[in-house]
Amino acid sequence: MADQKVTVASDWLAGCAGCHMSLLDIDERIVDLVQLVTLTSTPVTDLKHPAKEGVTVGILEGGVNNSTTESVAKMFRERSKVLIALGDCAVFGGVPTMRNACGIKEALQRAYVETESTVDGQVPHHEDIAVMQDCRAIDQVVPIDVYLPGCPPSADAIWYVLTELLAGRMPELKGKYLDWH
Amino acid sequence: MACLNITINGRQIEAQAGQTVLQAATANDIEIPVLCNHPALQPQGSCRMCLVEIEKQRSLQPACTFPVTDGMVIKTESEKVQAARKFVLELLFSERIHYCMYCPMSGTDESTDCDLQRLGYRYGLTHWEYAPNYKKRWPVDASRTYFILDHSRCILCRCCVRACDEIAANHTIGVKDRGARTMIIADMDVPFGASSCVSCGTCLQVCPTGALMDRRSAYMGLHTDVEHVKTTCMACPVGCGIEAITRDRLLLRAEGDWDAANAGLLCVTGRFEVVEPQPARIQQPMIKRNGDWVNVTLDEALDVVASRLKSAGPVAGLVTPRATGETMTAFHRFFEEVLRSDQAGLLYGEMPPTGFGALATLQDLSNADCVVVVNGEPLQDQKVLGYITKRAVDHGARLVVVNDAPTQLDPWAGVTLPLATIAEIAPMVDAAQHPVVLYAGGLAPAAYDVLRALPVQTRFLPLYEGTNTAGAARLGLSARRVQGSALFLLAGDEAKADHGVTLPETAFTVVQAAYHTAWTEAADVVLPAPVWTEQTGHIVNVEGRELPVNPSITAPQGIEPVESVLIKLAAHLGHGLN
Repeated sequence: MADQKVTVASDWLAGCAGCHMSLLDIDERIVDLVQLVTLTSTPVTDLKHPAKEGVTVGILEGGVNNSTTESVAKMFRERSKVLIALGDCAVFGGVPTMRNACGIKEALQRAYVETESTVDGQVPHHEDIAVMQDCRAIDQVVPIDVYLPGCPPSADAIWYVLTELLAGRMPELKGKYLDWH
Repeated sequence: MACLNITINGRQIEAQAGQTVLQAATANDIEIPVLCNHPALQPQGSCRMCLVEIEKQRSLQPACTFPVTDGMVIKTESEKVQAARKFVLELLFSERIHYCMYCPMSGTDESTDCDLQRLGYRYGLTHWEYAPNYKKRWPVDASRTYFILDHSRCILCRCCVRACDEIAANHTIGVKDRGARTMIIADMDVPFGASSCVSCGTCLQVCPTGALMDRRSAYMGLHTDVEHVKTTCMACPVGCGIEAITRDRLLLRAEGDWDAANAGLLCVTGRFEVVEPQPARIQQPMIKRNGDWVNVTLDEALDVVASRLKSAGPVAGLVTPRATGETMTAFHRFFEEVLRSDQAGLLYGEMPPTGFGALATLQDLSNADCVVVVNGEPLQDQKVLGYITKRAVDHGARLVVVNDAPTQLDPWAGVTLPLATIAEIAPMVDAAQHPVVLYAGGLAPAAYDVLRALPVQTRFLPLYEGTNTAGAARLGLSARRVQGSALFLLAGDEAKADHGVTLPETAFTVVQAAYHTAWTEAADVVLPAPVWTEQTGHIVNVEGRELPVNPSITAPQGIEPVESVLIKLAAHLGHGLN
């Protein structure tokens, strides 16, 4: 029976984790949720990435801002039947897009060298670390099936989207569930 | 006016010839969404939010500019219309960076103060179909003291441009460049703080997004959090209608009342300066003992005042012209009936002679075809009158300035005359159909004779100092030198001891005031007083109209209305006053 449960994976990209906090704000409904779905990989579980076989629903928080988040977004797209962009950063690009206007070089210089609390700072550089890119909404990198905006989206809106998907319907965000606030 | 039969969404409706589709729909409670349209501004049809389907029209048409014709059949929410509106919104959101979470206007579909966001919700925009250009940085103009222009939130609806042109008649705001490069600018593209902007804030009031935002009230509450109270501005005798916007006993903002004579227009003083935090309030009655102030109860203070007034001999009284008519009446009666003193006067504010003809309304001034300003500086002292005068000039009125010194209105004047040649206005006023004369006090009798001889269609507006000086005049209270051995000064909410007032030298002085000033410092007893936002009553304005003053904030505990303190003081003196 467990095999037939809907599988859900989530991850956060260039976000603040607030949308995942809002996911936890569904409170006791999370008990109902885990009876209906199997959470395969999340940032707070041991398994960090969805398995190759894929999941029914992928949930991504945050925008795409470097080579790592770009590859995670692409992997989630490949491995998810339905991909949800969770929160304003995932949907619109969000706060991190502010750095696009000044450029990556200037942003790094400011963050690692010029901050008032930094002494002898230098911009980290290593072939293993992610390469920064301009930040953008996930749908600028891979197609998104369900947009769930909000900063963060309310727990009720998240619950509505998940239960609609579980009922086999594509959620239509309107009224109190649609809120970019 | 001819009556036309039209059909909107299957409903038979009677419309008036000359109405636009939007006006006909609005009059019948059919809502059509708009962004660039404002009832107080000329329609321009640029935002395309109000597109509707009209039978026999090739394409969708903007309701705000399309005139109704007999038999017209209109659909305001057909699938085609909704798709077009959604597309318009997609384009608007793609143009600049409308990040709602940073914006003070942002809220839910119920609480948002932003028309763009409200429509985004209404038409189900879950995301932006066309990503905005995050590499481009739109400037923020924070060069003005009271409000900020954030270009990234601007949708180029030009409501601000039209408000500046049509309502404030200041013509500061314009646009530069074309297409996606179009930008709102001040004058020839200078920072607003360095421009001809007079900070009347009319543009702020009509902005449908968060592009123009009030520094003080930003992030302090959306329309669902605040309370609106219609009242009268107490800053000058024009007496503009305002909406005081408050939250938790804090005055956040003042907006011009669209339904009042000023029709939304305010000046920098009425919209912003009066809302600024004021000095510390006088919370409790105080008595000076051995040179030090001691806080006492109202009863103790009134005991001292009553015994000193009884023994003092003649008592002089001065009342601020910022007091309501009700307060002035109580003050006047207190002096006549309780103290039996004729030494009650107005603290400052001299009414010019009146009775040359009918008083003008602000509407008369706006519609005037000839405006004469005699010895006044309305753009400085009664700013809204100055703006409306400029509006009349925009509509083709001839402006005649009669003054021995240069005035700020001179650039708009067709004729400027020295006071000695005031008689030359007569033929110009004669030639006009709706002339309005604004005149100040202090003129030679011969000058007033000229005004008196003007034709009967002439309307007059006196220019003077003091919010309710006209109300005081009706009670026979005027600015004069009062005499006595004791002084009762009702300073009300005067924040500074100025206006060139010299108080009479008296052995005992009691001051009823909201704020500490040089007047209260020199007093023997100080009684607290409410401020303008806490008062109930009326004032008489330049038009001679009685205007309501409604409380938007509850006075701090222990601060009673002036009238009730006077009634109590009368009782302490053994008299009844009701």
